[in-house]
Amino acid sequence: MTWTTALGFSERGWGPALLEGAVMTLLVSIAGLAIGAVLGSLVAWSKLSGARVAAAIGESYAAIFRGLPELLVVYFVYFGSSAALTGLDHLLGGQGFLGVPGFAAGALAVGVISGSYQAEVFRGAFLAIAKGELEAARAVGMGRWLSFHRIIAPQVMRFALPGLGNLWQVALKDSSLISVTGLSELMRTSQIAAGSTHQPFTFYIAGGALYLALTSVSDRVFEFAEARATRGMRREARR
Amino acid sequence: MPESESDSYALTVSGLHKRFGSLEVLKGVSLLAREGDVISILGSSGSGKSTLLRCINLLETPDEGVVTVAGETILMRKTRDGRSLPADRRQVDRIRSELGMVFQNFNLWSHMTILENLIEAPIHVQKRPRAECLEEARALLDKVGIGDKANFYPTHLSGGQQQRAAIARALAMRPKVMLFDEPTSALDPELVGEVLRVMRSLADEGRTMLIVTHEMGFARDVSDRIIFLHQGLVEDEGPPAELFSNSKSERFRQFIANERS
Amino acid sequence: MMDTAFIWETFLRLIVALRVTLSVWALSVFFGAFIAAGVTWMRGSGIKPVEWFARAYIFVFRGAPLLVQLFVVYYGLSSFPAVRASIFWPFLRDAFNCATLSCALCTAAYQSEIFRGALAGVPHGQVEAARACGMSGFLLFRRVIFPIALRQALPAYSTEVISMVKATALVSLVTLWDVMSVALKIRNDTLVTYTPLLIAGAIYFVVNYLIARVFIFIEQWLSPHLRARSV
Repeated sequence: MTWTTALGFSERGWGPALLEGAVMTLLVSIAGLAIGAVLGSLVAWSKLSGARVAAAIGESYAAIFRGLPELLVVYFVYFGSSAALTGLDHLLGGQGFLGVPGFAAGALAVGVISGSYQAEVFRGAFLAIAKGELEAARAVGMGRWLSFHRIIAPQVMRFALPGLGNLWQVALKDSSLISVTGLSELMRTSQIAAGSTHQPFTFYIAGGALYLALTSVSDRVFEFAEARATRGMRREARR
Repeated sequence: MPESESDSYALTVSGLHKRFGSLEVLKGVSLLAREGDVISILGSSGSGKSTLLRCINLLETPDEGVVTVAGETILMRKTRDGRSLPADRRQVDRIRSELGMVFQNFNLWSHMTILENLIEAPIHVQKRPRAECLEEARALLDKVGIGDKANFYPTHLSGGQQQRAAIARALAMRPKVMLFDEPTSALDPELVGEVLRVMRSLADEGRTMLIVTHEMGFARDVSDRIIFLHQGLVEDEGPPAELFSNSKSERFRQFIANERS
Repeated sequence: MMDTAFIWETFLRLIVALRVTLSVWALSVFFGAFIAAGVTWMRGSGIKPVEWFARAYIFVFRGAPLLVQLFVVYYGLSSFPAVRASIFWPFLRDAFNCATLSCALCTAAYQSEIFRGALAGVPHGQVEAARACGMSGFLLFRRVIFPIALRQALPAYSTEVISMVKATALVSLVTLWDVMSVALKIRNDTLVTYTPLLIAGAIYFVVNYLIARVFIFIEQWLSPHLRARSV
């Protein structure tokens, strides 16, 4: 089979499968980033709030997951969540083994890792907001919740965008590790196709090209988002 | 080579033109400096004063014109697309090592101590022995009044101290001509005096100095000659006494009136 | 699971495997630095096709997951008869070489961007002052540009170096017996899940911590000019 057929959309072609894999990669990365955003904002908040115990927990979480190989975390989350789920099932009287679906485990793993870096991005973004704006909000009588979601949150997003754009790219690449759980994302699909057709070069290059396409499109999207988000923001003049 | 008149001058500049894109900043500037001359270059922003100085040591490349330092003319060539470039890289380096430049922002090398800043170029560019450079450096630091700061890093010094160190660094090269590009403009007012004092003593020693400055009082007291630049051309020049009391240039009189207020 | 003997034995086996992990890491970072220097030079060369190549290189090796790159080099290249017949084959048939080569190419792309950022961050005025003294070419680079850029690059460089330690875990997927694959093997053999993975995690964590401390030490040693002056 020539490589054009192998990649193509005919009956024997793997084109559709690869595209499906790419979509799966996108979905699991988005899910992972979202989980990471929740975890990251929690940790950032814990550090900013000054509550010592919470800050310590947050700091430890971040330090641990920044110091561990991503692949290890994937295995750990995958095996661990399956074991936890099985244990829960046994408690409830079930038997046998319950595996956590690859998507959930994968998204959780990517999320847990991403969260440890997103914490710093959010913390930095929050600190970058001029204190004066917060004081002004207080001065006009805005309560905590109001000033949070009208003043703080929108601005944190503006400052956090560059860092988040970077972490999105990281999440996309980390998602390739979820292939070890068997989830049919892009990497795994390339692997299966390569094995089936005995054309590893073709399919790994194709997979790589699709990842690069995802990266490029993401770049554009974030550029656009950053441009929109920072309209009206004064560029700090550096003397 | 025949002895030309420029041999007796420490520095000659003739017909300097410099364009940045479509903006012509220098439109034909000439000056002569004999040994020991202290020349202050005055003018409002955009007049081309800094550009003139930077063309002399080729930090900017003049589009037209000739620069001669201590009798040696800097050789230029034209590229295929009409740009001007120095013809001999090594000549440029050599001539630069004979000119000492003091920058508005001091530009001391942040990863070296003050002493190391001073001996860096003498050792590596002029290839002088280390012991000699060290001795001279220490003497220069004493001379500008920061002998005790030799092993400090630039960031640990005040602005005035850094600029004095920068002057000492330029002196360490044993320059034939010293170029000062607004040496006190970046300093807090109370630190300006210590730098001007050092510059004055250099002038008294008989050094050849070209100073771009806004310090009217200093220019008037210390210079042998003042050159007033306006929009890329020399509007007026002459001894300070003449110029400040009855300049032929209306613009210059405007200028000093503005600076005073 | 709390069997002390088992824990100790696992630990020892993983420490032995650490040698593979650290070898791949050290070699790829080291050679990657040289490749990165070349790519950075190309990126700033001013020659359009050369610059374009460097930018493409960085885009590909930073944009594609390392796992894909590893598989292309190890599984992909070896599938070509032409490669198997070439002079490179004795080198490329070995998984360790392939993995190290692939990791080196990958880290080179990241390191190149770090170098480029550091060089751009050298204060222009200090470079001008050096030129004004007659410094140029290699002397200027060696005495002024490089030392300042080096200090600027250190924080980002340390992050990348530690990233590479974590990245080496992927070589377990191309048949190398590094810490990751040995830990998994122990799990598969003994069906004990957490202990081997936890111990492996602890080993990686400690290694990364030590590397971070070394970099902090280097940064402090090279930057007395940034520390507060003790009078």
